[in-house]
Amino acid sequence: MTTEEIRAPASHATMADVRVPQERQSTLGQRIYRYRFVYLMLVPTFALLLTFNYYPAFMGLYRAFFKWDIGLQPEFLGLGNFEKLFIKDDIFLKSLRHVSLLTSWRVISAVTFPFIVAELIFNLRSNVHKYTYRVLTILPAVVPGIVILLLWHFIYDGTHGLLNAFLEGVGLEDWQQPWLGSPKTALYAVTFMGFPWVGGVTVLIYLAGLQGISDEIIDSSLVDGCSGLRRIFAIDIPLILGQFKLIIVLAVIGGLQGWVAVFVMTAGGPGTASVVPGLWMYNNAFLWNKMGYASAIALFLFVLIMGMTILNVKFLKTGDY
Amino acid sequence: MTVLEGQPQPIQRMSLTEGWRRAWRTGDWWRHLGLFGFLFFMFLPFIITIIISFKDIHQFDHYPFTVTFPLHPENYLEAWRIVSRYILNSIITSGTSVVGMVILAAIAAWAFARYPFPGRELFFFGVLALLMVPGELTLIPAFLLVKDLGLLNTRWVLIAPYIAGGQVFAIFILRQFFEALPGEMFEAARIDGASELQVFRHIGIPLSQSILGVVAIMHVLSTWNDVIWPLVTLRSNELMTLTIGLYAFRTQFYTIWGPLMAGYVIASIPLIILFAFTSRLFVEGLSSGAIKM
Repeated sequence: MTTEEIRAPASHATMADVRVPQERQSTLGQRIYRYRFVYLMLVPTFALLLTFNYYPAFMGLYRAFFKWDIGLQPEFLGLGNFEKLFIKDDIFLKSLRHVSLLTSWRVISAVTFPFIVAELIFNLRSNVHKYTYRVLTILPAVVPGIVILLLWHFIYDGTHGLLNAFLEGVGLEDWQQPWLGSPKTALYAVTFMGFPWVGGVTVLIYLAGLQGISDEIIDSSLVDGCSGLRRIFAIDIPLILGQFKLIIVLAVIGGLQGWVAVFVMTAGGPGTASVVPGLWMYNNAFLWNKMGYASAIALFLFVLIMGMTILNVKFLKTGDY
Repeated sequence: MTVLEGQPQPIQRMSLTEGWRRAWRTGDWWRHLGLFGFLFFMFLPFIITIIISFKDIHQFDHYPFTVTFPLHPENYLEAWRIVSRYILNSIITSGTSVVGMVILAAIAAWAFARYPFPGRELFFFGVLALLMVPGELTLIPAFLLVKDLGLLNTRWVLIAPYIAGGQVFAIFILRQFFEALPGEMFEAARIDGASELQVFRHIGIPLSQSILGVVAIMHVLSTWNDVIWPLVTLRSNELMTLTIGLYAFRTQFYTIWGPLMAGYVIASIPLIILFAFTSRLFVEGLSSGAIKM
């Protein structure tokens, strides 16, 4: 509420309904004038957003329909880029298969392992232990992502790597591989890195949901003889579907966008054995200067991410409790 | 729905050993066992990194994964000579952008939360819609934009877009928080003659310190870890941030594992220090129930 409204208690205007007819004396222009300092507060924010977010976003949408090589005049192609993408570009189609494998595993691992850890922590009786484990699980999330990627690069290393050393230690020398260097294994190596696939942030999100379940529900379930695994499936999971939904959306988005890991680990190689769409976009744009074609891939990714997010939100219904 | 609602849990006053004994009695031991198993594998790569970081080449060749003596702490000196510059660059970049971002986002979120100005929801939607836009879509045009602006290979090429992009999520979170603050307090201050600015600075901001902290930390984490944007916009070694610096460092020191791993350890320290001082914000912010759909 503003000072003007306080001085005039007759009009019971609240924040939500300032547009009620009693306020007829103030026209839209007057109200805009009254709040002029508020618009001033928003100027820096929107100046930056328009420059660095809105303009590039619209430019990206627009240029996806052009042949646009650096230094040359953009040439309108209509749907030409997309035609080329889906009909002629075998590598792009291959990258779609790769990214669906990566994304599927991301979703599967994100709804299982972190949830198990969250349940284990949640059911501990000591709060001290609960807190200690929460801090310990979040700790690896603080290590810079690039360090973790480079470490996994080392783990997979053909001659010095930890994985091959482990295989030798357990007598499976035959299985030794240059994991990232072989076309047969590179994609799988990138997909399954991160063992044991427990993201600290994900665990905390599940824990937050579990802690939000009211004690009455848990107590009454115990009275009814529902405990252990049964309680997890009958009570915990249905009650924290909201968290599951969030995690799934984040995993899908992360999987579709997560080409940085591939870039650092294999750069899509050997050859194109582990290429993903984001990386293919990067190569087109920054190695071969085909900005229009790359923008078309970006637009496709945008639509795909948006579509998957809407599907997830729509079909994974949350109950209101 | 605010992040602050999750109060820190009252920590029971009992000694740790007593806690363990109780864990055994109550049948929690197998949970501890499972958690130990997960944590062991989660930490194994880091432990091995630290072990290798103290080795010279010969020690690595013969006993790569066990502790060997003598330790070679000079690896750290060698790595520090190269990595320190990247760390400084990252601190400058993330530090500047987080300060700018939090100030702008707090002002904008305050405007959205407390003033029913015409067009409020429209403007707010204009901010929120950007949450849907993936970085891939903007990467190429944004690159060409900063190129035309002559920002390539300067510090601003990182800082300005980080401030711009970081605001979006921060405004979303902060608006919810500011709206939930009790309005009576601000009324009282206004009746006592406080100006709008004073209300914001002396009541709004102090009440919101922890949520501002959460937002700031999340921004530092994401800018600190960014790979692609610095990779395409920075050329000179003097300006490289930690992520791409390490990437280059890896190529340079490939198979000289000791200093390489020492570099990885050094690179992880700044955020671990940040975490040590703000772990409560981290944990509370993420586990308070505010983040769900």
